[in-house]
Amino acid sequence: MSEKPAYTKPLPDLRPEDATFWEALKEHRFIIPCDDAGKPFWYPRKYAPGTLNATSWMDATGNGTIYTYSTHFMGPSKAYKGDPPHIVALIDLEEGPRMMSILVKDEEGYPSLDPEDVTIGMKVKILFDDVTDEVTMPRFTPAG
Amino acid sequence: MAEGTPDVKEARRMLAKGICIAGVGETEQGIISDRGSFELLAEVTKIALDDAGLELNDVDGIVTAFSFVESTLMHSTTLADYMGMKPGYFSSVAVGGATAPLMAVQAAMAIDAGLAETILCVRGDNTRTGISSSGMIAMAREMSHGAYEAPFGLTTIGGYGLLAQRYMYEHDIPQEALAAVVATQSEHAALKWNAMLRDVVTVEEVMESRWIATPFHALDCSLVSDGAAAFIVTTAARAKNMKKKPVYITGIGEGFSHQYISQADSVASVRDGLGRAGRRAMEVAGITAQDLDVAEIYDSFSFTPLIALEGFGVCGPGEAGDWVMEGHAKLGGKLPMNTHGGLIRQAHLGAMHHIVEAVLQLRGEADDSAKTEFNGGNHQVPDAKLAITNGSGGILAATSALVLSSESPSAA
Repeated sequence: MSEKPAYTKPLPDLRPEDATFWEALKEHRFIIPCDDAGKPFWYPRKYAPGTLNATSWMDATGNGTIYTYSTHFMGPSKAYKGDPPHIVALIDLEEGPRMMSILVKDEEGYPSLDPEDVTIGMKVKILFDDVTDEVTMPRFTPAG
Repeated sequence: MAEGTPDVKEARRMLAKGICIAGVGETEQGIISDRGSFELLAEVTKIALDDAGLELNDVDGIVTAFSFVESTLMHSTTLADYMGMKPGYFSSVAVGGATAPLMAVQAAMAIDAGLAETILCVRGDNTRTGISSSGMIAMAREMSHGAYEAPFGLTTIGGYGLLAQRYMYEHDIPQEALAAVVATQSEHAALKWNAMLRDVVTVEEVMESRWIATPFHALDCSLVSDGAAAFIVTTAARAKNMKKKPVYITGIGEGFSHQYISQADSVASVRDGLGRAGRRAMEVAGITAQDLDVAEIYDSFSFTPLIALEGFGVCGPGEAGDWVMEGHAKLGGKLPMNTHGGLIRQAHLGAMHHIVEAVLQLRGEADDSAKTEFNGGNHQVPDAKLAITNGSGGILAATSALVLSSESPSAA
């Protein structure tokens, strides 16, 4: 495996309420938040949406289905200049919630999947991309 | 008119005071590098005052929006100070693309509450030439979640693209349907004196322009522009002595479905959320979509007005693409849409120009043929009496809609 270049893409805003999520990703574990009735939701918040009751974390399989995607030929910043198109997708997780990620070929994060190989309804699974020493980003790749 | 729910009746009670738009103004639009943000706002205020036949000191309230260039948390009062006003009512509205109709609603409510009688609603900016890189970042960050969307390289265009691709998948909508919106509006913009893009483009030309984020090509996207627009809200009693025929606000409505695009439940829920704004505005006005003569529909991307036409009940779910491809949205069609060219062809100032254009249509003043120096043409819908207009903030997140009428609600 070749040395990765410095990561210049945007990094997530980190807040105290979801530090547990990013800590788990660093250990290549995927957890999602759920409310006091055990119903998972997305995105992580300290108080459950709709009730503001207490929340906890549950393990998730990282398996999902593509709800929709958009192939980006232009990124949001200069860091994307010269890159091949990246595919932003909304993924319906097996556990129910829907989350955003990008679709990739392998655990390197980039290169992106070929847009020709993407369809709505396609099964995908999570990959962990250690983009910096501090941050691991979830990516998704075709399952099986 | 159907009796309506208590809240609809309450909205009708307020609007029955004859809340109306008595003056409008718009500057040139496009690349205006020789004028600052407040300068543009003062320029357009003077145009709107002249249109109504008013002096600045006849205005006792001011509602503004926000600026990406002149960053201030007190936008309305900063502008009041700049223009030498001492308004009795002031407010700055900031709900993205929904801001312009919400400014009108806020002005109506302030008048109803007795806080002011004649309120200047004004928005403008030199977004195109004046914005700094931090301003650009701030603008982009408005649209995506800082931890769970932005790090994946989501753009605003792509955020709309996610929803649009799902919409096209569910309803089997061809790419041509999106392009037909652009082609239609390009025909209208060719007639509008201050539209940035005056050339007529074909469906094929739209589809041949470069990809930005699927399903959008470059020509499917709205413009970034400098410019300003204004409208003056008052009562029929006050408007009686003004220069122009008042255009009445007869319906108001709002609808919300999500903030971040990853939080949208479904195409149907987004359609319903934004559609509520228009459906409610029409319910308050006591009309149906079939009564409308002209529609000035928020068009951040070519897809945006399609789902709004469906949400408002002009077409059924998945039918708006055919509606536009069959020419019903053109001047001369069943319901001419974005007769000024919209955000895609005229300029991007939220929904300000949609309101201004609706007012001009209902006054019968949308013929720019006399503006020969700008090569204007006639985009008037003959005998237009009823218009719907809306704006959506975020990625179809929050929507506000108005029904405007050439007749007062009591006369209806």
